[in-house]
Amino acid sequence: MSESFELAVIENRNSLVDLLDRVLATGVVLSGDVTLCLAGVDLVTVKLRALITTVREGGDG
Amino acid sequence: MTGSATYLYAVTRRVDGAAVAPLRGIGGAPLRVVEAGELACVVSTVGLDEFGEEPLERNLADLAWLARVAREHDAVVQALAELTTTVPLRLGAVYVDDGSAAVRVARLREAARATLDVLDGREEWGVKVYAVHPTAAAPTAPADPPSSGLEYLRRRRGELARRAVDAHALADDADAVFEDLRTVAVLARRHRPQDPALSGVKQPMLLNAAFLVGRDGRPEFHHAVDLLAQSRPDGAVVLTGPWPPYSFATLDDA
Repeated sequence: MSESFELAVIENRNSLVDLLDRVLATGVVLSGDVTLCLAGVDLVTVKLRALITTVREGGDG
Repeated sequence: MTGSATYLYAVTRRVDGAAVAPLRGIGGAPLRVVEAGELACVVSTVGLDEFGEEPLERNLADLAWLARVAREHDAVVQALAELTTTVPLRLGAVYVDDGSAAVRVARLREAARATLDVLDGREEWGVKVYAVHPTAAAPTAPADPPSSGLEYLRRRRGELARRAVDAHALADDADAVFEDLRTVAVLARRHRPQDPALSGVKQPMLLNAAFLVGRDGRPEFHHAVDLLAQSRPDGAVVLTGPWPPYSFATLDDA
């Protein structure tokens, strides 16, 4: 890293949740002809809700 | 469902096929560059058994699958962003073949060009701010038991009112931080605060924001974040990045 000074608050890009924020909720939506359903933002919300449920049920802290 | 399809990672201006050739995509598949007018689509082949509409819907709800594919998608986008200005696609854009992907991208070329111009020489930084506020952290003094039902209700109303004021103050605080950092960024956008169940962080997330910053503006932006962090309890401010410009890759697909 070419930091100009030490930043105590910087975090490596290894958080899956930060990544999911980006790859599921942002980025260009260009409807695929195979995956038309993904064009809807709502699907992403639904999927994330399902994931959260999975995580909770898994008891992963 | 059997057969294969074309997975689209990102759109760039012309990109050197030789530079892309060593990169690997989802499932270790080699990447290809497909021309779409003066734009380039970076793609790989995926199986419809995984990426057909129905299997994909199922797979997206499988955290292990999603984690792997999200990281593979990101690895490609990140590598491309190091080579050239890159417009990432949302995870899961799958086409019947390369030609179909190219046609879709070519249709949006005006918007893509405009987006590429905005993203040139810029990178994304994420700033997360957690609510670590003293009133919530400090255990409330063990009060005497309420002397009457009325007393109980009075206390309860007071407690609820205090919380409402706190929530209001926290929202104002988040707005202020966002507006403050936005002045040292080219573009800014708020993501939904992360669910503690997914992030594993117990404190409520106040702000989950992304900022598009010129590479030459990085020190100034970091300085602003550092000042913010110094003004708050340890761990309340987290900076992530640099990211490829995911949060600012939008094409108005009217």
